[in-house]
Amino acid sequence: MSSLPAEVGTVLPPLTFRVTRETLVRYAGASGDFNPIHYSDHAATALGLPGVIAHGMLTMGLAARAVTDWAGPGARLVSYGVRFTRPVPVPDDGVGAELDVAGTVTAADAETVTVTLDVTCAGEKVLGAARVVLAGSPA
Amino acid sequence: MPITPDHAGKAYAPTREYEVTRGKLAEFAAALGEPLVEGAGPVVAPPTFGAVVTGPAWDVLFTDPELELQLSRVVHADQQFRYHRPLEPGDVVTATLTIAKVRVRGATEIITTSVEVRDAVEQTVLVADATFVHSREASA
Repeated sequence: MSSLPAEVGTVLPPLTFRVTRETLVRYAGASGDFNPIHYSDHAATALGLPGVIAHGMLTMGLAARAVTDWAGPGARLVSYGVRFTRPVPVPDDGVGAELDVAGTVTAADAETVTVTLDVTCAGEKVLGAARVVLAGSPA
Repeated sequence: MPITPDHAGKAYAPTREYEVTRGKLAEFAAALGEPLVEGAGPVVAPPTFGAVVTGPAWDVLFTDPELELQLSRVVHADQQFRYHRPLEPGDVVTATLTIAKVRVRGATEIITTSVEVRDAVEQTVLVADATFVHSREASA
């Protein structure tokens, strides 16, 4: 782990992502997740949602970029878990939604580093218990 | 009979073999806004690429006629990936889903699943645990 600045309390460079319907279409195609609540307002409102929402896995994937961008290719992913605590509505208004991703090293030992992510949309937390555990690359 | 708590423990057959390719990794990374380097994709899968290889196993769950689930009435409640090793181009993997737990609260069904992704020599590459919330249609 010597390659990572791994002290507890280290703050990762924050990232901001703009998520539009185009982002959702692209993610649906790349991931194979074609749940219509991610492209059809009709399906989303039938489920009681305000409208189309982002794939939770898209939010989770974008949030991980804060960690992979920071850690670089030398780090190996051990685990990554989140709870999807609040949906991210993505209106078809040419603006979409903005996700802010912040990360802090919350644990570090000889083998692993734990980053806790704070992911918000319009100031509201959308992921809970979002933690990434990394290990150094095998020699 | 729709899904019930008694479905806990139900295990499905492994999905068809899936080959991880550099092109797919590049497409997936681009969908997460990563700049594409011409002629080269990532050499290691992004952290949530596990969902691509797990997805076919989730599809089997959502289309199991015995459970009477509708994908359009499913939201994802939590997700955990535990990687035993990185997924890399050239890996040929299968995904095997087990229903871990089912809770029913009125028309809401909370389904906890575990998917084990194994490589061509049957070694575990990753385990993906997920909880899905299915809201059954009142008229269904």
